Formats: sequence, C-alpha cells, structure tokens
Amino acid sequence: MTLENLHGRVAYIFEEDDFDVDQIVGVKNIKIQDLDELAGLAMASYDPDFATQVQPGDVIVGGHNFGFGHPHYPPMKALRHLGVAGVIAESFSPGYWRGEISMGFPQVSCPGIRAFVERWDTVEVDWEAGVIRNLDKGTEIVFEPLAHADRAMLEAGGLLGYLKANPEEKTQ
Amino acid sequence: MGYTIAEKILARAAGRDTVKAGDEVMAKPDFVLAYDFPGYTDVYFKQMEEEFGIDKVAEPERFGIFIDHMVPVASPKEEELHKGTRAWCEKNDVALYERKGIGHQVAAEVGYATPGAFVVHFDGHISQLGTFGTLAIGLRRNVLEAFVREKVSIKVPETVRVNLHGSLRPGVMARDVFHHIVRVLGPSSCRFQVLELGGDGLEDLTTEGIQSITCLAMFTGALTAIVNPNQDRLDYALPRAKKELEPVYSDPDASYAATHDIDLSELEPVVVIPPTPANTRNLSEFVGLDVQSGYLGSCASGRLEDIEIAARILEGRQVKTGFMLHVIPTSHEIMAEAGRRGYLSTLAEAGAYLSTSSCDFCYGRIATMTEGQRAVSTGTLNVKGRMGSPDSEIYLCNAAAVAASAIEGRIADPRDYL
Repeated sequence: MTLENLHGRVAYIFEEDDFDVDQIVGVKNIKIQDLDELAGLAMASYDPDFATQVQPGDVIVGGHNFGFGHPHYPPMKALRHLGVAGVIAESFSPGYWRGEISMGFPQVSCPGIRAFVERWDTVEVDWEAGVIRNLDKGTEIVFEPLAHADRAMLEAGGLLGYLKANPEEKTQ
Repeated sequence: MGYTIAEKILARAAGRDTVKAGDEVMAKPDFVLAYDFPGYTDVYFKQMEEEFGIDKVAEPERFGIFIDHMVPVASPKEEELHKGTRAWCEKNDVALYERKGIGHQVAAEVGYATPGAFVVHFDGHISQLGTFGTLAIGLRRNVLEAFVREKVSIKVPETVRVNLHGSLRPGVMARDVFHHIVRVLGPSSCRFQVLELGGDGLEDLTTEGIQSITCLAMFTGALTAIVNPNQDRLDYALPRAKKELEPVYSDPDASYAATHDIDLSELEPVVVIPPTPANTRNLSEFVGLDVQSGYLGSCASGRLEDIEIAARILEGRQVKTGFMLHVIPTSHEIMAEAGRRGYLSTLAEAGAYLSTSSCDFCYGRIATMTEGQRAVSTGTLNVKGRMGSPDSEIYLCNAAAVAASAIEGRIADPRDYL
C-alpha cells in the first residue's frame, strides 16, 4: 500500500507549545458526538470564519508537544469532517499521536515547521522523499520519518484496517 | 555499552537476545489490562468478535479487567456496560476485579506488577507499575492490537534517567517530586521515552510515593516510568507476582538520552494551577486563594501515607463549614488498613466525606463542580472541565495541602499544621 501525499493549504497555525487540542471545540462541547454539530463549533474561538474558509486537503500546523494534556477524539473528528487532511507540528505528545494515527489521520513531526510556513501557504508532504515542500515559497524541509507500524497504520486507514491486514497473527 | 531495564524487558518480550532504543519490534505483553469504559472495552469486545472472529482469547491468564469507573452506577445504561464486561470476562475466563479499588493500584496488589514484565493498557496511568520494575505502557486505542494479536508493534523507547538525591522536608511529598520534575525538565522532556527514576533519594521515598510519581509520567511526555526495584519493592511484588520472571535492572553503563539530578531537600510543596499539568508553581504563592472543594484520592494519590498525613493534620480540627472534603482511598485494601489504623474515624470526625474506592471523583462524574467553583485536588489532572463545569478550576497539590486547605477554606500551607 502507498500513502498518498498531503497537498493543501495551511489552514491554521497553532503557535503555542503544549497545545491542548480539546480547545479546538471547547471543553464544554467535548462529549458531542454529532459531526455536523461538532464541526460547527470547531475553531470558533480561534477563527469564526474557519469553517467557511477551509478546503478539503488543507492541513493544520502546530508547535512543540502538540496534543499535551488529556486529548479527546472529537476535536480532530470535527477538523476531518471539515476536510482537514493532516497535522504537521514541531513535535507531538505521545498519547495524542497514538490516538490520531490509530484513527488513520496523518500526523507529521517536523521541527522547524512554524518558521517554514505562513497561514494559507500551500504545502506538500512527500512521504517517499521525507520532505515537506512549501509550494508558494519554493522551499523544502525534512520531517522525521514515521515508524514502520505508524506508516502501515496510516496506509491501512487506521488501526482496524492495519490489524485486519495481518489476520493470521490474531491471538486465537 | 549496556542496556536499560526497558530495553531488557522488551528484548525478552520480543523474543530477542537484545534490543536497543530505536528498534521496531513485535513484543508479546505478559499482561493486557483494561478497565471498562464506554467507547473502549465495549467496543474492543464487539470488534474482537465481529471484525476478527475471536470468540475467546487464547491465553486468558494474560488478561485482566477492572471495574472501577462508574462505581457505583447511577443509571441502568452504566450497569448494562458492567454487565457486558462481566459476561465477557466469564466467557473468556478472564480475571475481573470489580469493586476492589482503582485498577492501576489493584493491578499491583493482585500481582500484575511482576518485576520484569511487559504490561499494556489503554490508559497511561498504568505506568505506575514501573515502581516494581514492570514496564507498563498505555497504548490508548492501539491496545486493541493486544486483544486481537499475540504481539504489539512497538518502537523501543530511549530512556531519560532522573536521579533523586537527599530527602524531603516535612510537608513535602512524593506528589511534589513529580510536579517538580515537570517544572525542571519540562512537559515534553521525556516525549516517547521512558522516565527511569534512580539515585539515593529514591530510598527516602516509600513504595506508595514512588507509585504516585510513576503514575503521572505521561505529563513529562513519557510513555511510562520505571524504577530498578530494590528489596522493599521486590518483597511487595514477588510474593504476589502472577508470573515467574527474573527481575531485570539497568546496566551501570546503559545508554540514556539524558540524565538529570534533583535534590529533594530543596523542594517545597508545589501546586499545579489550571488549566494544564505543565503549570507548576510553589504552593506558597497561592496561599489564601478561596477553595470550595477538596479531593484526596485517585490512582496517583489516596494511599496510606496520603490518608495518614491528612488525618494527622485534621486530628482535633474541623473542616471549614461549607467546604466539601472528599477522601477516597485508592483501593479497598488501603481503605481497610486506614480503618484499622484509625485514620478514617479521625477524618470522619473532622467532617470529611469518605467514600469507598472509585475513579469517579477524579473526572467529575460525582462530586461535580459547578461554574465558578474551585478545588484543591490530588487527582491526576487539572484540565478544564475535568471535575465538572469547564468554568470550574482545579489546583493540584499534595494530600497534606488538601487537608490544610479544608480547614481554612482556602489554599493553605500544610507546613503550618505539621
């Protein structure tokens, strides 16, 4: 299986380190299951026009230790529902990372990414070359390679697909 | 070059002679643990049958399930979840620990904290089994891999070594040591790594205190925490161990990503202010701040030494009128011993609300705060909405500070009462 390159605009940059992703929908909305409702609330406190401006394939950029705290799944479900195709951050908190990779949601650990892009730049994440290209500026930056298991999980669309791809190894 | 305890445990679990940090391996967990929670175990059990055709796990002795959240239940729906869990355990011949206490503590009491074992759970606070030289990692959703396969994919983590020196001053507890580590090293200092505790200062801490520290490892970014078990830890863990394994230890020339030294004698009580576990401050800066609620409990704190110091502070004193102090021992075993020692009667006479062990106070399912309320807490976390309204606040601190604050109805320095 191959992993499709990400190609889209930087729809938002979370500048802060140790960012708590629950803030994306707001803690009081964290138990909402309905995706349309969640998506309507997402990013409201950061950019009220986000939902109308974001396009399928866009990415989000974050700082160091992105996903710190006690991350829940609804915020990223909401962003995916709006078309966000992946997150590129300086570095990630392990719990968040595992959770989103298991959902098949591409995460790219790339030290220096905040200085490399401005909001609405178009970027391409080239998995094979191991680089992110800023197509507006004509620059590129190396990102940290995915572990094999993480890559296999993304290729399979998430944890379930990944596990089903190797049924002979089940415990029974 | 030698190996860390984490590398040695994963080498055995992966069926190899040696592994080094950075290697990607398939490792067989000695134990697969979980507590039942909607969207987690109920989903795994369903997926096992429907997606993977697994009607019964192959080695039931490797699995352990806990019922510690939603105890006691408050709705038929919650009881349905527990019923489903009991049925799955019975059908699969899997051990179920219900109403014994918070699972991460009970896991140690019943022997899953086997020195040298590799343990997985979905919840990261299982890291506290590292107190006994067990490598216990919270995989979140990926724990499903351990339910449907013999082995889990894992990248052997690097290790950060933190050497503790000296001894704590009165009123300063293990809980403060952890928050101090976050303050000094930073909330991302051990990302994807193992936090290994060592140094002569470790001897000054109790097993309970080390459980408190290792429980919270995730807030340094660590995958887990571990200790090379001394005789005290082995004396606790080996007679209970569920599996016969040779304890392993880091080699003196093991390779560490970083080494830090912390002088325990320099610490003072710490408070972690909302809304993130990274906001560590000296408690003294916040003395006098009004608080309405106090929580002494959780998988991190709520053990005998926590209850003892609270009882000592509250003996012959009263919880301030209107202040809600909740004391919830981490397990039934701990509660029974606290009763035998008289701590519980002292706390009851002082006006504390005592409850049998449950996770539910920690995440606001009960004793829920409303807008504008503020708690001092030994719970695990202080993010917005953790104990109720997103507009309530949690100040994390040690058990002695919770007890002292309960007397005054505002954040108080426990050293004034000791």
